[in-house]
Amino acid sequence: MKDVDLHHGASTDVGLVRKVNEDSYLVAPPVFVVADGMGGHSGGDVASRMVVEEFQRLAEAYDPRRGAELVSDALARAQARIIDYGEAHRALQPGWHAGTTAVAAVLVDDDGVTKWLLVNLGDSRIYRIVDGRLEQVSVDHSVVQELVDSGQITPEEASVHPERHVITRALGSPGGIQPDFFLLPLGSVERLLLCSDGVTGMIEDEEIEEILESVADPRDAADRLVRAAVAAGGRDNATAIVVDVVGLVKDATYDSQRQLESLESKLGGRL
Amino acid sequence: MSTEARFAAGDWYAVVGDRATVLLPGSQRGRVATLWDLADSGASADALLDALLADGLSSLDHFALVAHGDDRTRLLVRGAPTAAVSSAGGDELVSADPGTAWAERLVAGVSSIRVTLTGDAAAEHLLAPGLARVSVVEFGTPAPAAEQATEDVAPALVAEAEAEPEPAVTPEPEPEPQPEPEPEPVAAADPVPEAPAAAPMQFGEPADDPTPTGETPAVADDWSDRDGQTQVGAPAPDFDRPPVPGQEMAPEVVSQPVAALVFSTGDVVAVDRTVLVGRAPEARRFASHDQPHVVTVPSPHQEISSTHLEIRPGAGADHGSAIATDLGSTNGTVLALPGLDVEELKPGIAVSLVPGAVLDLGDGVTIQVTNP
Repeated sequence: MKDVDLHHGASTDVGLVRKVNEDSYLVAPPVFVVADGMGGHSGGDVASRMVVEEFQRLAEAYDPRRGAELVSDALARAQARIIDYGEAHRALQPGWHAGTTAVAAVLVDDDGVTKWLLVNLGDSRIYRIVDGRLEQVSVDHSVVQELVDSGQITPEEASVHPERHVITRALGSPGGIQPDFFLLPLGSVERLLLCSDGVTGMIEDEEIEEILESVADPRDAADRLVRAAVAAGGRDNATAIVVDVVGLVKDATYDSQRQLESLESKLGGRL
Repeated sequence: MSTEARFAAGDWYAVVGDRATVLLPGSQRGRVATLWDLADSGASADALLDALLADGLSSLDHFALVAHGDDRTRLLVRGAPTAAVSSAGGDELVSADPGTAWAERLVAGVSSIRVTLTGDAAAEHLLAPGLARVSVVEFGTPAPAAEQATEDVAPALVAEAEAEPEPAVTPEPEPEPQPEPEPEPVAAADPVPEAPAAAPMQFGEPADDPTPTGETPAVADDWSDRDGQTQVGAPAPDFDRPPVPGQEMAPEVVSQPVAALVFSTGDVVAVDRTVLVGRAPEARRFASHDQPHVVTVPSPHQEISSTHLEIRPGAGADHGSAIATDLGSTNGTVLALPGLDVEELKPGIAVSLVPGAVLDLGDGVTIQVTNP
């Protein structure tokens, strides 16, 4: 895999309402993770930290040619630990559950070509900037998303739907995990955002796009996103990671070829 | 017995063939594709059982299998499922004793079988061959006696659940009840702890989140957007990826390639799973076990779209062959079938490929379809 220079920034805030930050994140290039824990103190924060610890282990011995396999293994290990942790607690406190969402981005080597492998479980989100526009890549594992997909409600209705907090997949779920994977060429991701629903639940996509488009330094962009979510009410823990691939020329082969041809014609074929 | 079948929605998988039905928990998604491939090709109960057990029993805590013979019905249940069988010989409730691999019956003259996986919902939807997400499956016409038998099902399950102290034991002397600000009817109606995601997990409530100062968040109850409200609920009774309209759901990965694709660029790719072709193709929403082949082709004049064409193993009438779908590409895809006029693929409409077919994506890139 060619060396790729990544610039990145991360920020998290407990918000104005919660007393515990149950979000955890990992920045260990080329591995990036955001996890949003559920279950309260010593529940959600522990569950999300377990995910981060398992991806830290992955990052320490990372082989980009086995990216998808290693990511699956890390998720499976985190799932097993969270289940064990939950069962130990339930012995003392019936009905107790801990769980967490996870979104992760890793660079992988796909037949010699470096690509982004993205993975999602739950309602934390992955966005990208492509052709100068913000696009949500991950699809929420939530009841309202399924209602939207089946045309029963509109996205607008989803944001006020009574079941908008019910997620259908998470680490810690006794039914097992079914992460969604995405494989994207580097050139189709001008900028990548991983964030918890404490960001997306507080500020609109338009504001996210405005910040990601206008703030050049990814560290500042991550800070601005989290501060905007807190300023908008901070009802939940908010976490954001912003990643740029440095020196990326979009669609390199096409552009360089065309530039060469046009230069050639201007110079009268002297190249 | 008539093999007419009905089901109640849930999160177990029902793999329904003409001769046999296999029921698996939602966590066994990986096995479903293989089983469907077999069931769809009319495999016998033995063949299905063979495939089911191929990876060993240790990773398969629960399943049920119902096979319809000419005059006798064969039934296997392992783990949580319970089957109420009504036949000429009387009614019987079949469930695996703890510690045994499974319970098996061969019953003649069966009038109805009701297999309860989770909950005790009425089986009201018609179950056709294919895949479904279910909680209860019923075969034949339930006699009143069968209804009686089902009455026993729920208590039996609860009794089996003793290993899980969760719903039954509440020794907490604290006055604080299980906090449940919003009544959750699904959870209340479902006493089976085995139910993976069908019983929504109530994650910690605000009360579970003791603050250092002992104060409660200075917000009213209508501030529901915190993690404290986040629950895990049952997924919709459907696959997560919507199928192409009018298409049967294809298994993601098949054991034998149905075709090979010879690219003009020299690449040769087997169609044993979804193949995505384009100038910079993107693969979306796949599971770790069905990662698509992604084939990047050069397109100096950008006649080829970034994710242009999908080729995958067909299902139903197209079982055993590859099918191609233009994914709404800008400049389209042309298909030449041997002995026929060339045609342009309609975006989103799958066409069946036969050996000898050639697909033209533009920019001089063609794909020839051959036998695997």
